[in-house]
Amino acid sequence: MYLKELTELDGVSGNERLVREFISEKIKDKVDDIKTDVLGNLIAFKRGTKGRRKIVLAAHMDEVGFMVTNVEDDGTLSFAPVGGVETQVMPGKIVRINGKIFGAIGYKAIHLQEKEQILKPPSIDQLRIYIGAKSKEEASKLVKIGDYVSFTTAYSEENNRAVGKAFDDRAGCSVLMDIAQMNERYEDDLYFAFVVQEEVGLRGSAVVVEQIHPDIAIVIEGTTAGDDPELPEYQWATHLGDGPAITFMHRGYVVNKKVYESILAVAQKHSIPHQAKRRTAGGTDAARFARTGAGTAAGVVSVPSRYIHSPVSMIDLNDYGNTVLLIRKILEEGEAFAR
Amino acid sequence: MIDLIKKLTEAYGPSGREEEVHSLLLRELEGHVDGYKFDNVGNLLVWKTGSSGKKILFDAHADEIGLVVTNIDDRGFLRVESVGGVPPHAYVGHRVRFPNAVGVVYVEGETEEERKKNFTNLNLDNMFVDIGARNRDEATKIVPIGSFGVYDSYFYTNGDLLVSKAMDDRVGCAIIVEIFKRAKKPLNTIIGSFTVQEEVGLIGASVAAYSLVPDICIAIDVTDSSDYPKSFKRHSMTLRKGPAIKVKDRASISNREIVERLVQIAEQEKIPYQMEVLTFGGTNAAALQRTRAGIPSATVSIPTRYVHSPSEIVSLEDVQNAVELLLNYAGKGV
Repeated sequence: MYLKELTELDGVSGNERLVREFISEKIKDKVDDIKTDVLGNLIAFKRGTKGRRKIVLAAHMDEVGFMVTNVEDDGTLSFAPVGGVETQVMPGKIVRINGKIFGAIGYKAIHLQEKEQILKPPSIDQLRIYIGAKSKEEASKLVKIGDYVSFTTAYSEENNRAVGKAFDDRAGCSVLMDIAQMNERYEDDLYFAFVVQEEVGLRGSAVVVEQIHPDIAIVIEGTTAGDDPELPEYQWATHLGDGPAITFMHRGYVVNKKVYESILAVAQKHSIPHQAKRRTAGGTDAARFARTGAGTAAGVVSVPSRYIHSPVSMIDLNDYGNTVLLIRKILEEGEAFAR
Repeated sequence: MIDLIKKLTEAYGPSGREEEVHSLLLRELEGHVDGYKFDNVGNLLVWKTGSSGKKILFDAHADEIGLVVTNIDDRGFLRVESVGGVPPHAYVGHRVRFPNAVGVVYVEGETEEERKKNFTNLNLDNMFVDIGARNRDEATKIVPIGSFGVYDSYFYTNGDLLVSKAMDDRVGCAIIVEIFKRAKKPLNTIIGSFTVQEEVGLIGASVAAYSLVPDICIAIDVTDSSDYPKSFKRHSMTLRKGPAIKVKDRASISNREIVERLVQIAEQEKIPYQMEVLTFGGTNAAALQRTRAGIPSATVSIPTRYVHSPSEIVSLEDVQNAVELLLNYAGKGV
């Protein structure tokens, strides 16, 4: 399990290098082949004992974050979100620019706000990053336009729950690494695809199918929990602690029936706790796998995660463990899976 | 052909659950195809080999819009979300058919104000489905989370008009079946693709042409008709004026040469037709044309009233004329 290392690395969409290098270093001796493709996806391969089908396990390396769009005269930085981040979660956060410069996203202190303003989320135009520079000149020595900005949350564990940034989708990356390191061979050829730029439009996964021509793809995600006390239970997407979430449909894609039902059957057969992903909003790379090349029968298994796309996301470590177990059992089914 | 359209429209086939439609199609096509296969995402592809060496793919999507069960409350009421572009108002007081049950859809409202508000701003988030279950366990046994439902609606004829759910796009499927039945020895190889998941994101059509690499693709789908009171005034499409040769919609522009050839054939053969410019919407042609290095593609549409409602209306003559037009196109060549 590499949740601490992976989530503490900065890898906003398009800038996944550190994550890729870390993963590659840890798994390269456990796989038959590993390469980085043109877009920056890391693809590892483990030959199957029968090798008549190709299964891809996919997780995205990128996380949501920001990019510097301008250095202002007063030395503050204007910035734009990369991927879906709302302004509600931005003010008052410490951020890291290019992995080294620390800054704070500031906003008017409560004393300076009009009463009506307090309840409203700020507009991105009202927010700046402060890096301690007193002028444009001084700031320009430290950062430049186009620099990547990440949240800085340190990973922590308490009571079998973990808090950190970017469980979406470093949780998936960690699951894939655990599977790769088990050093087992399965009947089907197995590919691990650590893809880039999911958060900005499923871009990395768009070129994976053409390189592999897989029969089946299983996307491992960190997904919305939504078990919020303000919401009635029937509106929850998933619930922390109830096990990996199995998706039957999400934006733009109905999960292949055979793959969905086979994942469910494996969970039931081995009494692995699991739950349905109970909202259809949001998409994953599964849609891209399904609609690229000759098409792929794609499924999605996720680690439920509260507060995703914010600096503090939270997962249940039992859910994580059960996700690894479920994926392992799926692979052990060999050619019987989704047959 | 009426009987075929009745069977196809009454079949259950929400996006991702097209098996019933596919097996019905295979039964109808028995003896009329040289081969068939299902591809990786579940598209049904059929073909009949011609002599010219050219291949034309006719596409119609097998899926229809629907609802999917996302939650079940402790009293056994279901919560649903839409599969494709479902207008929630069409479901108020209407019925939804799941594989094992039929449910009634209704709207929440604990006070008069709230009820009024919910009825004016209809949203599936404050609607629910009643399948008559006593509690969650009972409901889960009949309609588990992840079950897909469609309009519970039946087919009928009204003079020369045909009324049903899922004319979009079973009428297209029926046209392809008819083409295969009537094309005894086609000049060009004809491929029929009955694609999956058009309504959620053109999933099937994005990959359907990949393996057989046709020279031309023609999507056959419904289009919004503008011939009812206060219907969309910038559109021209009308029932009973023939199949519509699509020039453009929001997702694709038809290949010019295909459009011109279709018009030429319709004129020569005296087949009624109309031109179509749709300012919204899209068809599988948008995905088909982007296959591999690109495939010239176009759409032939059947003007349809009340698209995506439980009662979509088409004209039988338009359907028959679409068969004539496309059969001639397949026979005359590219």
